[in-house]
Amino acid sequence: MADGLITLTIDGVPVHVPSGTLVIEAAKQAGVLVPHYCYHPGLPVAGVCRMCLVEVEKQPKLAIACATPVAEGMVVRTQSAPAKRARTSVLEFLLINHPLDCPICDQAGECELQDFTFQEGRPGTRYSPDYPKRFNPVEDFGPDILYVPNRCILCTRCVRFMEDVAQEPVLNVSERGDRAFIGIHPQGRLDHPWAGNVVDLCPVGSLLSKDFLHKARAWELDRTASICTGCSQGCNVTLDTRDDVVVRVRPRQNLEVNRYFICDHGRANYRWMNRGDRVEAPLVKQAGSEGYRAVDWDEALDRVRIIVGGASGKAVAFASPRAATEALFLARHLLGGFDWTGAFQLVMGDEEPLAGVPNLALRAERAPNVHGAELLGYTRDMSAALQAAEQSAVVFVLDDPQVSVRTAGAVIYLGTVMPEADGATPDVILPITNVAEEEGTFVNRDGRVQRYFQAKPAPGMARPAWWVLGELLEGTGNGARGMPLACAADVFDLMAESMEAFGGLSYAKLGLVGRTLGQGAGVPA
Amino acid sequence: MSAGMSMHASGTEEYQAVFTGATLERLQEILTRYPNRQAALLPALWLVQEARGWISDRNMAEVAELLGLTPAYVKGVVTFYTMYHQHPVGKNFVQVCTTSPCNICGAEDVAMAFLEHTGAKELGATSPDGNWTVIEVECLGACGFATPVMINDDFIESVTPDKVPELVRKYR
Amino acid sequence: MGFPHTPHPRETLVLSKHFGDTDARTYKGWVKRGGYEMLNQALAMEPAAIIEEVKASGLRGRGGAGFPTGLKWSFMPREKKKPHYLCVNADESEPGTFKDREIMRWTPHGLLEGTAIAAHAIQADVTYIYIRGEFTEAWDIMERALAEANAAGVFGKIKIYLHRGAGAYICGEETAMMNSIEGKRGNPRIKPPFPAAAGLFGMPTTINNVETLAAVPLILENGAAWYKGLCLSNPKSTGTKLLSVCGHVQKPGNYEVTMGFPLKDLLYDLCGGMRPGRTLKAVIPGGSSVPILNREEAESTLLDYEGCVEKGTMLGSGGVIVFDDSADLVYQIMRLARFYAHESCAQCTQCREGTAWTTKILERILAGQGKMADLDLLLDLADNMTGKTICVLSDSCAAPVVSGIKKFRNEFEAYITGNRKPVIAA
Repeated sequence: MADGLITLTIDGVPVHVPSGTLVIEAAKQAGVLVPHYCYHPGLPVAGVCRMCLVEVEKQPKLAIACATPVAEGMVVRTQSAPAKRARTSVLEFLLINHPLDCPICDQAGECELQDFTFQEGRPGTRYSPDYPKRFNPVEDFGPDILYVPNRCILCTRCVRFMEDVAQEPVLNVSERGDRAFIGIHPQGRLDHPWAGNVVDLCPVGSLLSKDFLHKARAWELDRTASICTGCSQGCNVTLDTRDDVVVRVRPRQNLEVNRYFICDHGRANYRWMNRGDRVEAPLVKQAGSEGYRAVDWDEALDRVRIIVGGASGKAVAFASPRAATEALFLARHLLGGFDWTGAFQLVMGDEEPLAGVPNLALRAERAPNVHGAELLGYTRDMSAALQAAEQSAVVFVLDDPQVSVRTAGAVIYLGTVMPEADGATPDVILPITNVAEEEGTFVNRDGRVQRYFQAKPAPGMARPAWWVLGELLEGTGNGARGMPLACAADVFDLMAESMEAFGGLSYAKLGLVGRTLGQGAGVPA
Repeated sequence: MSAGMSMHASGTEEYQAVFTGATLERLQEILTRYPNRQAALLPALWLVQEARGWISDRNMAEVAELLGLTPAYVKGVVTFYTMYHQHPVGKNFVQVCTTSPCNICGAEDVAMAFLEHTGAKELGATSPDGNWTVIEVECLGACGFATPVMINDDFIESVTPDKVPELVRKYR
Repeated sequence: MGFPHTPHPRETLVLSKHFGDTDARTYKGWVKRGGYEMLNQALAMEPAAIIEEVKASGLRGRGGAGFPTGLKWSFMPREKKKPHYLCVNADESEPGTFKDREIMRWTPHGLLEGTAIAAHAIQADVTYIYIRGEFTEAWDIMERALAEANAAGVFGKIKIYLHRGAGAYICGEETAMMNSIEGKRGNPRIKPPFPAAAGLFGMPTTINNVETLAAVPLILENGAAWYKGLCLSNPKSTGTKLLSVCGHVQKPGNYEVTMGFPLKDLLYDLCGGMRPGRTLKAVIPGGSSVPILNREEAESTLLDYEGCVEKGTMLGSGGVIVFDDSADLVYQIMRLARFYAHESCAQCTQCREGTAWTTKILERILAGQGKMADLDLLLDLADNMTGKTICVLSDSCAAPVVSGIKKFRNEFEAYITGNRKPVIAA
């Protein structure tokens, strides 16, 4: 074709793909998922499981779709009798030594061996029950990883990940033939900062996360697209919830940001989302007392409106770099009439790169929205902001219980938990949601704006910070938009209109993989 | 590679390195034959086995460090090749070919004769005096000279059960 | 002088001319016999001219596949942009085959000479001769010969090194061998890329068998036409072939005959026939990986690539395994299956699991617990193991099973029906 694409037919469907594309990837374009185990787009091709055998017209033998590049005019049949028969036989071979312990296996329900066996396996095995099955004891591979060799199908995804992606080969294939297993040296541990990916890569229940062990059955889980809050990389993740409790974080494919991977720091960074000691109602300070009184939202918001409306001069906003861009924007907007200072505290750590993927690391900046906060005028200069706070009429604290404020003015605190630092007690405490309970956006270190979605309900009366701030805007004269900010999209679009850095972007167009700032009008990534 | 892989990390007794003096020099000469260090792995493992009789996990870690590999990688390779011993074997290591061409010429009887005369209780087990380990091995590549037997590095052809007592005497 | 027997008049002594002659092992002795003359001439020749000569001779790979050697060499890039490598496959490990060992033991310089000529022809800077780990004697002889030849400076700029295997049948497969030299597990690689494009260390590489290379100096010496003329049957199979005969014949050993030689004459004339009172039952003519021939087929087979294919088998490596009527083919096929199960590298599912499963079924039959349905199951597994994996180890396990059941079904059935006593414990 003139555009340099190659045309081929897969199960009767014509597809056009760039030269060099593998048949297994081209098939996806035809809506065909060729069953496979060893193949993974994020790993070098191994071609060993032999599950993706397909028929290619004019070739005498079946070909593995994962290692066969497309050719002009190629005719591929994934459902021909020989191809199906070959795959059925691979499944039978894979199962002869398999313990078939699905009822107690964590992978059940999201197991590719289960799925493909259901799809095209034999109804029963021909392997005599008299033969012993291969047995090896469970091994402790690393801080969060168990290896159950009896379920292993030797696809070697884990070995290739550690060798080629993490570039720390601590796993191997040991022994030969049907005695083979995934091995580790007694002096080695599977403790690389990105090691947890082998659990996701494992197509069966052989590599398991200790953290998730027996926590839930796959079919009980609800899955929500989110963004990891562990650092400024902005890895795309899925939050798995069971009965409205986050029980697992897994990587969500985004070729521009994290490909198929997340680090162990991010993977483990979810327990706080389930914290029980939450602020569940708006609280206002009782006159002449240290105590608070729980009130409804109208009363609380009115109280804040009066404080903000009656003040002038300096104002400070201490915001968390974990807060949504929308909330950061509205906090600034709300204080637009003041001599405004915005700042945030940032936790720093060691940078832990994933060697085999360019520009992917656990970043030293351990918060997801540092870039967003900075774009909106917040700085890391906490001491200047704390100094400014002393003479401010109004201080907003947004989702950071650790900020210790001294001020003569009023303190408005929006948080998920009660303030934990010394300093001035807030006049009003407003309960807000955490990342799992709201939707919004973060801007990662490369200026990519990415959405996250609500995974579980908010506790009590907690509301997204952007909703709270939007309500306040309505009443303070700074809203001036003529309509309520009913959802995160409204806030984002207002921000895109008023902030040059976000120009051209719209919430809807961010989609599931986000857009980069300055490329708002460009084609989707 | 993590710091936990340093050579003294596991075990308490001091580890005696294999690659010192002449052995290290031999490895250095071998390294000149290949465009990278990894390719010297099989020869390096042979040097270890020559020096120690078998290849321990710590030996693997030493080789790994010398060749810029990880211990796990080296272990994966060691376990692939059946001639590398992952455990100590008897002073005399006897390999009797019992693959089809030798099998039809009575090779299994030769293996049994070695068990009988060496005191090794079963194939793969070492005799109580530590002198003998007898194994059946797949094809030694001398099928026309059934039954070929390797005792240590010596390749002996046309062994029959009646020749076994003499061989055992010779190596004892 | 022959080895281990006196040469038979019907042999064509080309490669084995000096077998048994210890003097020919030495550099001096080899030069005295005209050795290294051809290398000197070849080093002055254009590589392309050598390739043309070898092409014209009709020489085909003696390791098993029978691929035309000159054509293989011509796949190497003409214009050298990266280092080129030559690997010599001396990992001889196909059950039934022991010819390369004999070449190394008796004519190490002949192999080195052929190796150096090939290296020049494909413009290889470095050559590795991969010798199987068990061949300690051959290793010592080769090491000594290489040192002598290096001291004499016969190889010019070509570097030749020996590389010792460590016990893995599959390293005889060319891509597995390259991995093994690179210090990896001997796993076969998926092709493409083919070795001539990206082989050892990712560079253009050719892999040749010992017997193939040993013939090269003789082809240059006597001319392609002479070699091509060594042919008793099909003109596509030229030269001589070393046949390793083992099992139930009176005189097992290596025999060198012209391509197209009748298998019947090899067995009954050269090898002295069966042991007294015994009759021929079956022959595996090309190493354990090829289909079994029954007596009628064996006695009418002509030993060249086409002659074997005509009988539904392959010349392979020329390892002729002979079974007389005392042989228990069920047991021997089980032993072969066990061999392949032992040697499977564990990469491909069908091979890793199929070779072991096949062995278990055969063991159960031999234990008197087989069922008739097991035979169909074996055939079906064999079909699922054939033509679906990276290399042909899986196919090789299937071949004797399929041909065995097809041709000797009654022996299997005797164990299943109880007409034959179990020979192994359940």
